[in-house]
Amino acid sequence: MRTGFFLLLFISAIVSQGQLTITGQVTEKSGEPLLGVNVYLQGTYDGATTDIAGRFSFSTSEMDSLVLIASFIGFHDAILPIASKSQELNIMLKEEVSVLNAVIITAGAFNASDENQREVMKPLDIVTTAGATADIPGALNTLPGTQTVGETGRLFVRGGDGRETKTFIDGMLVHGEYGPAAPNTPSRSRFSPFMFKGMSFSTGGYSAEYGQALSSALILQSKDVADNNRTDISLMSVGGDVSATRAFKNSSLAGKVQYTNLTPYFELAPQNLKWDKAPTGLDGNFAYRLKTSKTGLLKFYTNLSTSRMELFESEIGNPEAELPVTVSSDYAHVNASYRELVSEKWGIRGGVSMTTSQDFASISDNSRDQKLNGGHVKFVADYQHSDRLAILFGGEVVKRSLDQVLSDETGPFLQNFDETLTASFLETEAFASSALAFKGGLRMEQNSLNGKTTLSPRFSTAYKTGTNSQISMAYGQFYQAPQTQIILTESSAHAEKAAHYIANYQWVKEGHSFRIEVYEKRYDDLVKYASIYESNTFQFDGNGYARGVDLFWRDNKTFKNMDYWVSYSFLQTEREYRDYPGSFTPAFASSHNFSFVMKKFIDEIKSQIGVTYSFASGRPYNDLNSEKFLGGKTPAYHDLSFNISYLYSNQIIVHAMVNNVLGINNIYGYEFADQPDNAGVYTSRAITPPAKRFIFLGVFITLSKNKGINQLPNL
Amino acid sequence: MKKNLILILCMLCTSLTFANGQFEKAMGKNVPAMFAAETSEDLQAAINNLNRIGEAEKNRWEPYYYVAFGYLKMSEMYQTAEDKDKYLDLAMKAVEKGEEINPNDSELEAIRGYVNMIKLTVDPATRGMTYSGLAFGSFQKAIALNPNNPRAHFLMGRMQYGTAQFMGGGTDDACSSLFKAMVLFGKEEKSDNPFAPSWGKGSTEQSIKELCEKGN
Repeated sequence: MRTGFFLLLFISAIVSQGQLTITGQVTEKSGEPLLGVNVYLQGTYDGATTDIAGRFSFSTSEMDSLVLIASFIGFHDAILPIASKSQELNIMLKEEVSVLNAVIITAGAFNASDENQREVMKPLDIVTTAGATADIPGALNTLPGTQTVGETGRLFVRGGDGRETKTFIDGMLVHGEYGPAAPNTPSRSRFSPFMFKGMSFSTGGYSAEYGQALSSALILQSKDVADNNRTDISLMSVGGDVSATRAFKNSSLAGKVQYTNLTPYFELAPQNLKWDKAPTGLDGNFAYRLKTSKTGLLKFYTNLSTSRMELFESEIGNPEAELPVTVSSDYAHVNASYRELVSEKWGIRGGVSMTTSQDFASISDNSRDQKLNGGHVKFVADYQHSDRLAILFGGEVVKRSLDQVLSDETGPFLQNFDETLTASFLETEAFASSALAFKGGLRMEQNSLNGKTTLSPRFSTAYKTGTNSQISMAYGQFYQAPQTQIILTESSAHAEKAAHYIANYQWVKEGHSFRIEVYEKRYDDLVKYASIYESNTFQFDGNGYARGVDLFWRDNKTFKNMDYWVSYSFLQTEREYRDYPGSFTPAFASSHNFSFVMKKFIDEIKSQIGVTYSFASGRPYNDLNSEKFLGGKTPAYHDLSFNISYLYSNQIIVHAMVNNVLGINNIYGYEFADQPDNAGVYTSRAITPPAKRFIFLGVFITLSKNKGINQLPNL
Repeated sequence: MKKNLILILCMLCTSLTFANGQFEKAMGKNVPAMFAAETSEDLQAAINNLNRIGEAEKNRWEPYYYVAFGYLKMSEMYQTAEDKDKYLDLAMKAVEKGEEINPNDSELEAIRGYVNMIKLTVDPATRGMTYSGLAFGSFQKAIALNPNNPRAHFLMGRMQYGTAQFMGGGTDDACSSLFKAMVLFGKEEKSDNPFAPSWGKGSTEQSIKELCEKGN
């Protein structure tokens, strides 16, 4: 017994002295050997790294239940139990589809992200674009697929009207995203680009998660928890602002108060408009971010603003008669969103947003007073089955109630509606390999006002044709409620419809990007009417099309410290809708749009300069003195803008901007008198920018313990 | 029987000390190999070895510290932003593994800042804002955790210098951090832990020579 015990011990000692040699080869699916793979026995030091032929060899004295692991970046680990005798192993690793190598569906989408080097835009690009005056739509208007419509300041995408583009912040729909403006002057987005860490500007074919936009979705992601305390002070020719950020352990609080008053500027720079009270505004933004766990984040954001302006507008037929115009707006938007990874495979996110606004505009005795209350609740779950298959689904309720009072000498005229839109969506993304991706989605919407249910399928796919190039295609159906005045007149008016077909080729190589995209868009169920206030003249069978080609080239490598991009869009579009007597090209559409944007940092003068040139071919306008409907054509639009940011010290920056440096007389269209004059001619007046040039000056000061921080990235 | 018990116990002792010896031996071989590697192949092999040690030794953070350092070196061997990011992400993962074992450690915090500093240099124009905050934050925390960590001061100095280069401004702050690092390197005592990080003296000397003694 005792000897037996010793014998056992002895044998096991001998065996443990024995060596097992493990050799083999690691390849990928195609048979290509993999170099640098870590092949080892789990829980031990024993292992080797594969050579250029994918071969490895090592010996071990371990004997018990050996588990071999082959691990390599970009591939799934191979885990295999091995027998306790020397053998030759052939291991094949399966490629991992990851953010770094996976093909991205780019049809219709311009994404901006700090992280991903393969995106063609960065959030910062928005703010440094000359002529954009740090306005998100202003900067996006230098991208292909947009049409310059200078008198509105809004995003007109691929033959779509400005209202066909919707803005989403952290997944939540934003009502009333533009601030107020005097008649025929551009409005600005209420949301500052500095708030966002990423944005996706879709010119078509976007995800089933988003609805109620016929042409385009602007999807903005706000910043996460701030890491540093800082205080910023800006003194500008149009006002000033103070903002402060306080960072805590797992949360941050930021606030900004801005006061705008254009009176001093308008005193100095003559304006075409006769101002009584130049625009003044008070804006407050507050943001709170809380990390609820390692993966959970709660965001709270609110924007409060009030603004007012008064001016005189002369009557077209009788320039002597000056009519008083008042525009005022009070706006509040609250947005809370939350996201969390519930498990390795399940993620949830959701949010609530509320908007309330009161917009008032009057011209002499005629006025319009609109009171909007909007609410949005949304929930989304995503399930990551594997690196190759993901499913996303969710639901949302969007409420909108609008009260409008139109007044004229005959008295007030009240209209209102209360709309509840219930939507659910499902989308799945599948990768056949890192080079081939498919996305399919379905969105269902139900509208309480017309009782109708719509179903919109969306499909897209992308295929990597080479290391730097890919093709992508998208198809989708989109529904959107008609313009608010239509619903006010006839609440049962049903949604208008668009179908997008997009094909895209993209080539991106370190510092250079090239994109070409062709598209076809079909509009159906557009509202036609003889009078927008008389529902018995409504017909819902209008239609139209838009087709074109968008080109984009960007290069930030060829010239030192210099970045430039060139966009060109060709558009052909016609619609039969509204009170059109047939199919015509709408007044907001121009066939050719071109932009050149350049930014350069000049070390010698510690300054960044920016130049933007924009061109748009003439737009149709309806000449009342001509037999032909929409028969007039404006001259082409040109703008050359320039900006400079001078780094006075680490934390003080001086910024100046001038648009329309060349002083070109741009004409956006013509307005006509209501009645013809004695000679039977309708007097006309050109719609022009309120001033030939706009000049902006500002000093930006940052107070922070951390001297690496200043406002340069904001300019 | 008693004798046998003792014998078995002794065998256990030796195997225990052997296990410890194995860690020291393996680290002693692979840490210098990582520092010495001049090709990405040699470097990957050393990193793989260190990763294996890390996975086998559940409570040693040092292997991951050197894995992170190895991937920082690796990122320097590649030119494209995509490649650099790939290795910097691996470096950050290694830092996080080390921190799980040894939270609130000045050396790991400093190397975390180092990874963020290099991430910044990949695309300073767009990443400046986010990553300068992250890097400065880590260096400050590393110094707070151990005011005598010369590497934290050295990295802080490099970061201050880079910021001054990019934003304009003098090298005073950077040099004072570098001089501080130099003083601390002089005082740094031999740690009980033979694998405690000890690199950086040469780089600090070099930096001082290049940045702070020009024209003086």
